[in-house]
Amino acid sequence: MKTQIFALGAATLIAMSGIAQAGTLENLERERAMTIKTFLDSSLTIDERQAKLDSQRRRLVDLERIVMRDKSLRGQNTKNVRIAFKNYDVTFLGHASAEKGHTMVDHWLTQFGVNTDSVMSSRVGRR
Amino acid sequence: MSELPLLIDRVEPKRLALTLGAVFLGGAMLMAGSTVAWSAPNWTPQSSERLVKLPPSYLQKSIDHDFANSELGTAIQKTEEDISLKGNTLGDLQKAIETSDGEVRGDLRHQFLAEKRAYLNMMSDRNELRRKHLMTKRRLFDDMLERLSREEGEMTPEKEELIELQKAAAERFESSVAKVDQRLFETPDLEESKYSQQYSKNRTAIEQLIARIDNHRMNQTPMSDNGVPLTRVEHVRRMVADVQTELAVLEQEETILGYMAKLVALDAMTLAEEGMDEEMIDSDVAQSSLTPADNVSFFLNN
Repeated sequence: MKTQIFALGAATLIAMSGIAQAGTLENLERERAMTIKTFLDSSLTIDERQAKLDSQRRRLVDLERIVMRDKSLRGQNTKNVRIAFKNYDVTFLGHASAEKGHTMVDHWLTQFGVNTDSVMSSRVGRR
Repeated sequence: MSELPLLIDRVEPKRLALTLGAVFLGGAMLMAGSTVAWSAPNWTPQSSERLVKLPPSYLQKSIDHDFANSELGTAIQKTEEDISLKGNTLGDLQKAIETSDGEVRGDLRHQFLAEKRAYLNMMSDRNELRRKHLMTKRRLFDDMLERLSREEGEMTPEKEELIELQKAAAERFESSVAKVDQRLFETPDLEESKYSQQYSKNRTAIEQLIARIDNHRMNQTPMSDNGVPLTRVEHVRRMVADVQTELAVLEQEETILGYMAKLVALDAMTLAEEGMDEEMIDSDVAQSSLTPADNVSFFLNN
Protein backbone atom coordinates (compact mmCIF):
# COMPACT_ATOMS: atom_id res chain seq x y z
CA MET A 1 0.00 0.00 0.00
CA LYS A 2 2.78 2.38 0.97
CA THR A 3 4.59 1.61 -2.27
CA GLN A 4 1.46 2.43 -4.24
CA ILE A 5 1.02 5.78 -2.47
CA PHE A 6 4.67 6.58 -3.10
CA ALA A 7 4.33 5.73 -6.82
CA LEU A 8 1.20 7.90 -7.05
CA GLY A 9 2.99 10.79 -5.34
CA ALA A 10 5.99 10.46 -7.65
CA ALA A 11 3.74 10.41 -10.72
CA THR A 12 1.94 13.55 -9.50
CA LEU A 13 5.25 15.29 -8.90
CA ILE A 14 6.47 14.40 -12.39
CA ALA A 15 3.22 15.66 -13.89
CA MET A 16 3.41 18.90 -11.91
CA SER A 17 7.03 19.48 -12.88
CA GLY A 18 5.87 19.38 -16.51
CA ILE A 19 3.25 22.04 -15.84
CA ALA A 20 5.71 24.28 -14.00
CA GLN A 21 8.16 24.38 -16.93
CA ALA A 22 9.55 27.90 -17.35
CA GLY A 23 9.11 29.82 -20.57
CA THR A 24 11.84 31.42 -22.65
CA LEU A 25 11.23 34.82 -21.09
CA GLU A 26 11.47 33.44 -17.55
CA ASN A 27 14.79 31.75 -18.40
CA LEU A 28 16.12 35.03 -19.78
CA GLU A 29 15.00 36.90 -16.66
CA ARG A 30 16.75 34.34 -14.48
CA GLU A 31 20.00 34.65 -16.41
CA ARG A 32 19.75 38.45 -16.34
CA ALA A 33 19.25 38.36 -12.56
CA MET A 34 22.43 36.25 -12.28
CA THR A 35 24.30 38.79 -14.46
CA ILE A 36 23.14 41.71 -12.31
CA LYS A 37 24.19 39.75 -9.22
CA THR A 38 27.64 39.49 -10.79
CA PHE A 39 27.67 43.30 -11.38
CA LEU A 40 27.01 43.87 -7.71
CA ASP A 41 29.13 41.03 -6.24
CA SER A 42 31.78 42.81 -4.17
CA SER A 43 33.63 39.58 -3.40
CA LEU A 44 34.91 39.31 -6.98
CA THR A 45 38.08 40.94 -8.28
CA ILE A 46 37.90 43.04 -11.46
CA ASP A 47 39.38 40.23 -13.58
CA GLU A 48 37.17 37.59 -12.07
CA ARG A 49 34.08 39.75 -12.65
CA GLN A 50 35.10 40.43 -16.25
CA ALA A 51 35.70 36.73 -17.01
CA LYS A 52 32.40 35.77 -15.45
CA LEU A 53 30.52 38.55 -17.30
CA ASP A 54 32.04 37.54 -20.65
CA SER A 55 30.71 34.04 -20.21
CA GLN A 56 27.34 35.29 -18.93
CA ARG A 57 27.00 37.74 -21.81
CA ARG A 58 27.27 34.87 -24.27
CA ARG A 59 24.50 32.96 -22.52
CA LEU A 60 22.43 36.10 -22.15
CA VAL A 61 22.73 36.92 -25.86
CA ASP A 62 21.64 33.38 -26.76
CA LEU A 63 18.65 33.56 -24.43
CA GLU A 64 17.70 37.00 -25.79
CA ARG A 65 17.73 35.58 -29.31
CA ILE A 66 15.64 32.64 -28.20
CA VAL A 67 13.07 35.03 -26.68
CA MET A 68 13.02 37.23 -29.73
CA ARG A 69 12.43 34.22 -31.99
CA ASP A 70 9.80 32.69 -29.71
CA LYS A 71 6.58 32.89 -31.73
CA SER A 72 4.44 31.96 -28.72
CA LEU A 73 5.22 35.37 -27.20
CA ARG A 74 3.75 37.30 -30.16
CA GLY A 75 0.72 39.14 -28.84
CA GLN A 76 0.81 37.22 -25.54
CA ASN A 77 -0.85 39.93 -23.54
CA THR A 78 0.49 39.14 -20.05
CA LYS A 79 2.04 41.57 -17.58
CA ASN A 80 5.50 40.01 -17.86
CA VAL A 81 5.56 40.11 -21.66
CA ARG A 82 4.22 43.67 -21.76
CA ILE A 83 6.87 44.92 -19.30
CA ALA A 84 9.64 42.99 -21.08
CA PHE A 85 8.94 44.55 -24.48
CA LYS A 86 8.25 48.01 -23.07
CA ASN A 87 11.81 48.06 -21.67
CA TYR A 88 13.92 46.72 -24.54
CA ASP A 89 17.17 48.14 -23.17
CA VAL A 90 16.74 46.36 -19.86
CA THR A 91 15.25 43.09 -21.13
CA PHE A 92 17.68 42.62 -24.02
CA LEU A 93 20.66 43.90 -22.07
CA GLY A 94 23.27 41.93 -24.07
CA HIS A 95 22.09 43.21 -27.43
CA ALA A 96 21.22 46.74 -26.37
CA SER A 97 24.61 47.30 -24.69
CA ALA A 98 26.52 45.94 -27.72
CA GLU A 99 24.39 48.06 -30.03
CA LYS A 100 25.27 51.22 -28.08
CA GLY A 101 28.90 50.21 -27.62
CA HIS A 102 28.59 50.15 -23.81
CA THR A 103 29.56 47.53 -21.31
CA MET A 104 26.57 45.70 -19.89
CA VAL A 105 26.95 47.26 -16.45
CA ASP A 106 27.22 50.79 -17.87
CA HIS A 107 24.17 50.25 -20.04
CA TRP A 108 22.19 48.80 -17.17
CA LEU A 109 23.03 51.69 -14.84
CA THR A 110 22.24 54.23 -17.57
CA GLN A 111 18.72 52.82 -17.78
CA PHE A 112 18.21 53.83 -14.15
CA GLY A 113 19.71 57.31 -14.57
CA VAL A 114 23.16 56.45 -13.22
CA ASN A 115 26.12 57.33 -15.45
CA THR A 116 29.80 58.25 -15.00
CA ASP A 117 29.05 61.98 -14.90
CA SER A 118 26.35 61.67 -12.29
CA VAL A 119 28.57 59.42 -10.15
CA MET A 120 31.55 61.78 -10.49
CA SER A 121 29.49 64.82 -9.60
CA SER A 122 28.01 63.21 -6.50
CA ARG A 123 29.21 64.09 -3.01
CA VAL A 124 29.52 61.90 0.00
CA GLY A 125 27.40 63.33 2.80
CA ARG A 126 25.18 62.57 5.75
CA ARG A 127 21.49 62.28 5.00
CA MET B 1 -49.90 -28.80 -34.97
CA SER B 2 -47.38 -26.07 -35.73
CA GLU B 3 -44.63 -25.11 -33.29
CA LEU B 4 -45.81 -21.53 -32.76
CA PRO B 5 -48.78 -22.31 -30.52
CA LEU B 6 -46.48 -24.54 -28.49
CA LEU B 7 -44.05 -21.67 -28.06
CA ILE B 8 -46.85 -19.34 -27.03
CA ASP B 9 -48.07 -21.92 -24.58
CA ARG B 10 -44.65 -22.16 -23.04
CA VAL B 11 -43.94 -18.43 -22.70
CA GLU B 12 -45.59 -16.38 -19.97
CA PRO B 13 -48.31 -14.08 -21.45
CA LYS B 14 -46.77 -10.97 -19.85
CA ARG B 15 -43.37 -11.71 -21.32
CA LEU B 16 -44.84 -12.47 -24.71
CA ALA B 17 -46.75 -9.17 -24.71
CA LEU B 18 -43.54 -7.33 -23.81
CA THR B 19 -41.58 -9.05 -26.62
CA LEU B 20 -44.27 -8.38 -29.21
CA GLY B 21 -44.51 -4.77 -28.02
CA ALA B 22 -40.75 -4.33 -28.40
CA VAL B 23 -40.81 -5.86 -31.89
CA PHE B 24 -43.68 -3.57 -32.91
CA LEU B 25 -41.98 -0.48 -31.46
CA GLY B 26 -38.66 -1.38 -33.14
CA GLY B 27 -40.39 -1.85 -36.49
CA ALA B 28 -42.25 1.43 -36.13
CA MET B 29 -39.02 3.27 -35.26
CA LEU B 30 -37.21 1.67 -38.18
CA MET B 31 -39.96 2.70 -40.58
CA ALA B 32 -40.10 6.22 -39.17
CA GLY B 33 -36.33 6.52 -39.47
CA SER B 34 -36.31 5.34 -43.04
CA THR B 35 -39.17 7.72 -43.90
CA VAL B 36 -37.29 10.68 -42.40
CA ALA B 37 -34.08 9.69 -44.16
CA TRP B 38 -35.91 9.35 -47.46
CA SER B 39 -37.92 12.54 -47.15
CA ALA B 40 -35.20 14.85 -45.86
CA PRO B 41 -31.68 14.17 -47.12
CA ASN B 42 -29.27 16.26 -45.11
CA TRP B 43 -25.89 17.91 -45.27
CA THR B 44 -24.51 19.14 -41.95
CA PRO B 45 -21.08 20.73 -42.41
CA GLN B 46 -19.46 22.22 -39.30
CA SER B 47 -17.48 25.43 -39.22
CA SER B 48 -14.52 23.97 -37.36
CA GLU B 49 -11.19 25.55 -36.51
CA ARG B 50 -9.60 23.28 -39.11
CA LEU B 51 -11.96 24.45 -41.85
CA VAL B 52 -11.31 28.12 -41.07
CA LYS B 53 -7.56 27.53 -41.24
CA LEU B 54 -7.62 25.67 -44.57
CA PRO B 55 -5.77 27.32 -47.48
CA PRO B 56 -8.30 29.41 -49.43
CA SER B 57 -7.74 27.50 -52.65
CA TYR B 58 -8.47 24.21 -50.90
CA LEU B 59 -11.44 25.47 -48.86
CA GLN B 60 -14.00 25.48 -51.68
CA LYS B 61 -12.88 22.05 -52.88
CA SER B 62 -13.05 20.62 -49.39
CA ILE B 63 -16.62 21.93 -48.90
CA ASP B 64 -17.70 20.65 -52.32
CA HIS B 65 -16.17 17.24 -51.64
CA ASP B 66 -17.92 17.01 -48.27
CA PHE B 67 -21.22 17.96 -49.91
CA ALA B 68 -20.81 15.45 -52.75
CA ASN B 69 -20.45 12.66 -50.19
CA SER B 70 -23.45 13.76 -48.14
CA GLU B 71 -27.05 12.46 -48.34
CA LEU B 72 -28.15 15.76 -49.84
CA GLY B 73 -25.42 15.70 -52.49
CA THR B 74 -26.31 12.15 -53.48
CA ALA B 75 -30.02 13.02 -53.61
CA ILE B 76 -29.39 16.02 -55.90
CA GLN B 77 -27.19 13.94 -58.18
CA LYS B 78 -29.84 11.22 -58.41
CA THR B 79 -32.60 13.75 -59.13
CA GLU B 80 -30.50 15.33 -61.86
CA GLU B 81 -29.96 11.94 -63.49
CA ASP B 82 -33.74 11.31 -63.35
CA ILE B 83 -34.42 14.75 -64.85
CA SER B 84 -31.99 14.05 -67.66
CA LEU B 85 -33.76 10.75 -68.45
CA LYS B 86 -37.14 12.47 -68.26
CA GLY B 87 -35.86 15.10 -70.71
CA ASN B 88 -34.97 12.33 -73.18
CA THR B 89 -38.46 10.83 -72.79
CA LEU B 90 -40.03 14.24 -73.49
CA GLY B 91 -37.87 14.67 -76.59
CA ASP B 92 -38.88 11.26 -77.90
CA LEU B 93 -42.56 11.93 -77.25
CA GLN B 94 -42.39 15.32 -78.97
CA LYS B 95 -40.89 13.72 -82.08
CA ALA B 96 -43.52 10.95 -82.02
CA ILE B 97 -46.34 13.54 -81.81
CA GLU B 98 -44.99 15.36 -84.87
CA THR B 99 -45.12 12.18 -86.97
CA SER B 100 -48.44 10.80 -85.72
CA ASP B 101 -52.07 11.67 -86.38
CA GLY B 102 -55.59 10.78 -85.37
CA GLU B 103 -56.33 9.01 -82.11
CA VAL B 104 -52.69 8.00 -81.56
CA ARG B 105 -51.66 11.65 -81.73
CA GLY B 106 -54.30 12.52 -79.11
CA ASP B 107 -53.06 9.74 -76.80
CA LEU B 108 -49.47 10.83 -77.28
CA ARG B 109 -50.37 14.44 -76.50
CA HIS B 110 -52.01 13.28 -73.25
CA GLN B 111 -48.93 11.25 -72.38
CA PHE B 112 -46.67 14.19 -73.27
CA LEU B 113 -48.66 16.40 -70.93
CA ALA B 114 -48.43 13.88 -68.08
CA GLU B 115 -44.66 13.53 -68.63
CA LYS B 116 -44.25 17.31 -68.66
CA ARG B 117 -46.06 17.49 -65.33
CA ALA B 118 -43.79 14.78 -63.91
CA TYR B 119 -40.75 16.66 -65.28
CA LEU B 120 -41.85 19.86 -63.59
CA ASN B 121 -42.39 18.03 -60.29
CA MET B 122 -38.89 16.60 -60.51
CA MET B 123 -37.41 20.01 -61.32
CA SER B 124 -39.27 21.51 -58.40
CA ASP B 125 -37.96 18.78 -56.06
CA ARG B 126 -34.42 19.31 -57.37
CA ASN B 127 -34.71 23.05 -56.78
CA GLU B 128 -35.87 22.47 -53.22
CA LEU B 129 -32.79 20.33 -52.61
CA ARG B 130 -30.56 22.93 -54.28
CA ARG B 131 -32.08 25.64 -52.13
CA LYS B 132 -31.37 23.53 -49.05
CA HIS B 133 -27.77 23.07 -50.22
CA LEU B 134 -27.26 26.79 -50.84
CA MET B 135 -28.87 27.82 -47.56
CA THR B 136 -26.69 25.34 -45.64
CA LYS B 137 -23.63 26.63 -47.46
CA ARG B 138 -24.54 30.21 -46.62
CA ARG B 139 -25.06 29.28 -42.96
CA LEU B 140 -21.65 27.59 -42.97
CA PHE B 141 -19.95 30.68 -44.43
CA ASP B 142 -21.78 32.91 -41.95
CA ASP B 143 -20.46 30.75 -39.09
CA MET B 144 -16.97 30.92 -40.57
CA LEU B 145 -17.16 34.70 -40.85
CA GLU B 146 -18.35 34.93 -37.26
CA ARG B 147 -15.46 32.74 -36.13
CA LEU B 148 -12.97 34.81 -38.11
CA SER B 149 -14.34 38.11 -36.81
CA ARG B 150 -14.25 36.71 -33.26
CA GLU B 151 -10.54 36.03 -33.75
CA GLU B 152 -10.03 39.58 -34.99
CA GLY B 153 -12.21 40.91 -32.18
CA GLU B 154 -9.78 39.52 -29.62
CA MET B 155 -7.46 42.39 -30.53
CA THR B 156 -7.65 44.94 -27.72
CA PRO B 157 -5.86 48.31 -27.81
CA GLU B 158 -3.45 46.94 -25.20
CA LYS B 159 -2.67 43.90 -27.33
CA GLU B 160 -2.25 46.07 -30.41
CA GLU B 161 0.23 48.21 -28.50
CA LEU B 162 2.13 45.09 -27.40
CA ILE B 163 2.32 43.78 -30.98
CA GLU B 164 3.63 47.15 -32.13
CA LEU B 165 6.25 47.07 -29.37
CA GLN B 166 7.26 43.54 -30.35
CA LYS B 167 7.51 44.55 -33.99
CA ALA B 168 9.73 47.52 -33.12
CA ALA B 169 11.84 45.32 -30.82
CA ALA B 170 12.28 42.71 -33.57
CA GLU B 171 13.42 45.39 -36.04
CA ARG B 172 15.89 46.86 -33.56
CA PHE B 173 17.09 43.39 -32.65
CA GLU B 174 17.65 42.31 -36.28
CA SER B 175 19.56 45.50 -37.06
CA SER B 176 21.91 44.94 -34.10
CA VAL B 177 22.59 41.19 -34.50
CA ALA B 178 25.70 41.65 -36.67
CA LYS B 179 27.13 44.28 -34.33
CA VAL B 180 26.50 42.08 -31.30
CA ASP B 181 28.24 39.13 -32.96
CA GLN B 182 31.20 41.31 -33.79
CA ARG B 183 31.45 42.47 -30.17
CA LEU B 184 31.17 38.92 -28.88
CA PHE B 185 34.03 37.69 -31.08
CA GLU B 186 36.26 40.43 -29.74
CA THR B 187 36.70 38.16 -26.71
CA PRO B 188 39.34 35.71 -27.98
CA ASP B 189 38.79 32.96 -25.40
CA LEU B 190 35.16 32.42 -26.24
CA GLU B 191 34.05 30.47 -29.28
CA GLU B 192 30.65 30.59 -30.91
CA SER B 193 27.95 29.16 -28.67
CA LYS B 194 26.24 25.85 -29.38
CA TYR B 195 22.92 27.64 -29.91
CA SER B 196 24.45 30.05 -32.45
CA GLN B 197 26.09 27.21 -34.36
CA GLN B 198 22.92 25.12 -34.45
CA TYR B 199 20.73 28.10 -35.23
CA SER B 200 22.71 29.23 -38.27
CA LYS B 201 22.79 25.64 -39.53
CA ASN B 202 19.03 25.21 -39.11
CA ARG B 203 18.24 28.68 -40.41
CA THR B 204 19.41 27.78 -43.92
CA ALA B 205 17.14 24.74 -43.92
CA ILE B 206 14.25 26.78 -42.51
CA GLU B 207 14.67 29.49 -45.14
CA GLN B 208 14.65 26.92 -47.94
CA LEU B 209 11.49 25.33 -46.54
CA ILE B 210 9.78 28.71 -46.11
CA ALA B 211 10.60 29.64 -49.70
CA ARG B 212 9.09 26.33 -50.86
CA ILE B 213 5.97 26.90 -48.72
CA ASP B 214 5.58 30.48 -50.02
CA ASN B 215 5.65 29.25 -53.60
CA HIS B 216 3.45 26.22 -52.95
CA ARG B 217 0.34 26.08 -55.12
CA MET B 218 -1.91 25.33 -52.15
CA ASN B 219 -0.57 28.28 -50.20
CA GLN B 220 -1.26 30.92 -52.81
CA THR B 221 -3.18 33.95 -51.61
CA PRO B 222 -6.54 34.22 -53.37
CA MET B 223 -6.75 37.14 -55.77
CA SER B 224 -9.64 39.34 -56.78
CA ASP B 225 -10.58 39.73 -60.45
CA ASN B 226 -8.26 42.72 -60.80
CA GLY B 227 -5.32 40.95 -59.16
CA VAL B 228 -5.61 42.40 -55.64
CA PRO B 229 -4.73 39.83 -52.92
CA LEU B 230 -7.71 38.90 -50.72
CA THR B 231 -7.63 38.29 -46.99
CA ARG B 232 -9.21 35.15 -45.54
CA VAL B 233 -12.31 37.12 -44.45
CA GLU B 234 -12.65 38.76 -47.86
CA HIS B 235 -12.33 35.37 -49.54
CA VAL B 236 -15.13 33.87 -47.41
CA ARG B 237 -17.26 36.98 -48.01
CA ARG B 238 -16.76 36.49 -51.73
CA MET B 239 -17.95 32.89 -51.42
CA VAL B 240 -21.05 34.14 -49.53
CA ALA B 241 -21.73 36.54 -52.43
CA ASP B 242 -21.41 33.63 -54.89
CA VAL B 243 -23.95 31.62 -52.88
CA GLN B 244 -26.27 34.63 -52.86
CA THR B 245 -25.95 34.86 -56.65
CA GLU B 246 -26.80 31.18 -57.02
CA LEU B 247 -29.86 31.66 -54.80
CA ALA B 248 -31.03 34.57 -56.97
CA VAL B 249 -30.60 32.43 -60.11
CA LEU B 250 -32.56 29.67 -58.40
CA GLU B 251 -35.40 32.13 -57.72
CA GLN B 252 -35.46 32.98 -61.44
CA GLU B 253 -35.48 29.30 -62.36
CA GLU B 254 -38.47 28.81 -60.09
CA THR B 255 -40.29 31.61 -61.89
CA ILE B 256 -39.56 29.82 -65.18
CA LEU B 257 -40.91 26.58 -63.70
CA GLY B 258 -44.03 28.46 -62.56
CA TYR B 259 -44.67 29.65 -66.12
CA MET B 260 -44.02 26.14 -67.45
CA ALA B 261 -46.56 24.75 -64.97
CA LYS B 262 -49.09 27.37 -66.10
CA LEU B 263 -48.53 26.38 -69.73
CA VAL B 264 -49.01 22.71 -68.85
CA ALA B 265 -52.30 23.60 -67.13
CA LEU B 266 -53.44 25.65 -70.18
CA ASP B 267 -52.45 22.80 -72.54
CA ALA B 268 -54.43 20.41 -70.37
CA MET B 269 -57.46 22.70 -70.61
CA THR B 270 -57.05 22.87 -74.40
CA LEU B 271 -56.90 19.08 -74.61
CA ALA B 272 -59.94 18.77 -72.37
CA GLU B 273 -61.82 21.29 -74.49
CA GLU B 274 -60.90 19.49 -77.71
CA GLY B 275 -62.10 16.22 -76.18
CA MET B 276 -65.39 17.81 -75.19
CA ASP B 277 -65.84 19.32 -78.65
CA GLU B 278 -65.39 15.90 -80.26
CA GLU B 279 -67.94 14.42 -77.86
CA MET B 280 -70.41 17.21 -78.62
CA ILE B 281 -70.12 16.67 -82.38
CA ASP B 282 -70.86 12.96 -81.98
CA SER B 283 -73.80 13.49 -79.57
CA ASP B 284 -77.51 13.74 -80.53
CA VAL B 285 -78.16 16.72 -78.29
CA ALA B 286 -79.81 19.65 -80.16
CA GLN B 287 -77.59 22.65 -80.79
CA SER B 288 -78.55 25.43 -78.46
CA SER B 289 -77.64 27.96 -81.11
CA LEU B 290 -81.13 27.61 -82.66
CA THR B 291 -83.24 30.66 -81.94
CA PRO B 292 -87.10 31.15 -82.31
CA ALA B 293 -86.47 33.51 -85.23
CA ASP B 294 -84.87 30.66 -87.24
CA ASN B 295 -88.17 28.74 -87.19
CA VAL B 296 -90.60 31.62 -87.54
CA SER B 297 -91.67 30.34 -91.02
CA PHE B 298 -93.43 27.40 -89.30
CA PHE B 299 -95.84 29.90 -87.82
CA LEU B 300 -96.42 32.19 -90.76
CA ASN B 301 -98.05 29.69 -93.20
CA ASN B 302 -100.90 27.22 -92.52
